[in-house]
Amino acid sequence: MNPSLKFLLAVLIALEISFTSTWLVNLGLAVIGLLIILSSRPTLKRLAMLFFVPLIPALALAVAILLQSNAGTHFALVLFTRIYAYVFVGSAATLTTTVTDLVMSLEQNARIPSKFAYGFLGAFNLLPKIVSEVNVIRAAGNMRGQVLHIWSPQLYFKAILASLDWSENLAEAMTSHGFTEGAPRTYFKRIRIHWWDWLIFAGSLALLQIALFGLHLR
Amino acid sequence: MATISVNHLSFSYPTEDGQKPLTLADLSTTFPSGGFSLLTGPSGSGKSTLMKIISGLYPKFGGLITAGEVCLNGTKISNIPETDRGHLVAMMFQNPNQQFAMDTVERELIFALENQCVPPADMMARVNRALDYVEINELRQRQLNSLSGGEKQKVALAVIIAMQADTILLDEPFASVDPVARQLLLAKLAKLQHEEHKTILISDHDLEDYDHYIDHLFVLNANGDSLKLLSDEAAKQKLDHFKRQDTSNQELGLPATTDQPLIQAHHLTLTAGNSTLLAQPEINFFQHHITLLTGANGTGKSTLLLAISKLHQYAGSLLLNQKEIAKMRTRQLYQQVALIFQDADQQFLNVTVSEELTLSLKNSRTPAYFKERLPEFLTKLHLEDLQDHVVYTLSGGQKKKLQILEMLIMATPVLLLDEPFTGLDFSSLQTIIAIMKQVTHDNQQTLVIVSHQLFGLDTLVDYHVTLTNKRLQYVEELA
Repeated sequence: MNPSLKFLLAVLIALEISFTSTWLVNLGLAVIGLLIILSSRPTLKRLAMLFFVPLIPALALAVAILLQSNAGTHFALVLFTRIYAYVFVGSAATLTTTVTDLVMSLEQNARIPSKFAYGFLGAFNLLPKIVSEVNVIRAAGNMRGQVLHIWSPQLYFKAILASLDWSENLAEAMTSHGFTEGAPRTYFKRIRIHWWDWLIFAGSLALLQIALFGLHLR
Repeated sequence: MATISVNHLSFSYPTEDGQKPLTLADLSTTFPSGGFSLLTGPSGSGKSTLMKIISGLYPKFGGLITAGEVCLNGTKISNIPETDRGHLVAMMFQNPNQQFAMDTVERELIFALENQCVPPADMMARVNRALDYVEINELRQRQLNSLSGGEKQKVALAVIIAMQADTILLDEPFASVDPVARQLLLAKLAKLQHEEHKTILISDHDLEDYDHYIDHLFVLNANGDSLKLLSDEAAKQKLDHFKRQDTSNQELGLPATTDQPLIQAHHLTLTAGNSTLLAQPEINFFQHHITLLTGANGTGKSTLLLAISKLHQYAGSLLLNQKEIAKMRTRQLYQQVALIFQDADQQFLNVTVSEELTLSLKNSRTPAYFKERLPEFLTKLHLEDLQDHVVYTLSGGQKKKLQILEMLIMATPVLLLDEPFTGLDFSSLQTIIAIMKQVTHDNQQTLVIVSHQLFGLDTLVDYHVTLTNKRLQYVEELA
């Protein structure tokens, strides 16, 4: 499915279930999300994380509702399933799309200015470098007898300095490789929105409405 | 072909209080069309600044042209639309790590072609040709982050070739490139000049290897107020003067059986991405000795130093004083091992030169020794008047000198040095080697030095280890 439409769909679904309280729909969405996640063949560790990380806020919310308010079991169940629906639907969208594809689709289909698209991509590619830079800064501190804790301002001063430097270099690198803000570009990989993308998009939303109304009227 | 002409150019980086000290003052010259020109001058003279002005990056990204202009084929750079500049002029940067926007080699090339509005159907052919030209087809799908400095510079050249720029600017491009890769890049550039009539302008303070290739030698003086084309005679003299002493027949010894091993590796494996860099059954580095480590670009020399400093994971065993490095507590490890990073900026923790030196003195193992000698060292290294300067504003060579000095002051038992001599001019190099020799001897330190630059090292190092085909081996020859 087209990456931009896929993300829009995920956001719309999340928005809609925020205002409804049908736990069966939440559960259904979570199961569909899980199936899509499984189809992308995630590692066992990632799958375990996907189950356990949402468990903490989901349980905390449910327990709080049960103990502290008189909204009842139904509402606790709704909140519990809603968190899993959010996480699984969101992960279904992210795990089946590469960042590059998403950025290219946002640029070509959603018409986001190319400056933002490539700036975002450049920053994303810098993430692993920032993590290793922080390790290097702390090591450099230790080697000089200066312990930099995770709360040391000096650590952040250095990290911010490095980031500023990188962002300027990134801008210069893009310029020297011919990138100009707002100028027309060609695309090696065309990302199109096909009729079936629209069909999946509209069909999924329609099904969601039917499920919500059906269960509501019952 | 394109002629670059500089007419009465003055350039300034305005300071906070509104002053405009001139970095370049009233420079005029013409870089001939279709020629291979080399621009040289001491570190800090403004070579990089001039290159960035010619490429159109300045004043867009910093500084101010206070007078004059730079023209490409008679048109002022600022009047050439940015979208057309890529066809006219492209630049390779000093720092190989910071010239790419995308994640893989192929995507970076495609990104550049997309920016030039090349029809998608033609792109692959141009990418293939550029990669073949630089002989790096095997790097095509590699992550740019996982490449070595030399490999990155080859990719940067491939991008320039794919963009088919008329004029190619290279700003000290070989600082972290080994001699073999350097020869390859120079030969490719000469081929571009002769077969495709490109205009090539390189800035470098190190003139070795250039005499076969260049047509013109330009010299920028230390104050940035004179830019001259040398006559053939004068150029030849300057290039000859720079020919390094022949290091090929200098002999070193092999480790003696009485030497005490301090760093020991057993079945050590180092990897980067998916490729294995090093698979070493056994190797030792010996206490109170200085070992030089050489090998081609991307073979894993820096990675080995990072592994010893616990900044890169390894498989197998790597012992320091019989203790497994991976299991040592970081603070305890860094009291015994310090690394001089390839990138000097990573070493600095404070803002000014004097703050940096004060911190090192405060935490040194032998503060008295250095308190006594510091003024002399600073004078010798020409750093004595820079005490109030912000470290990040120093030139490349000054940063290197300060970095080595402040790490020597720590007097850590084991000191690892990753390309400590890049960007140093000839006399600074000799001075710093003399200081290193004195200090490490007096403090009984153990050193492992990774360096492409071998000049003068015969007097400093005891042993030489080469890294080839994923193996480390002690050899007797220096070169």
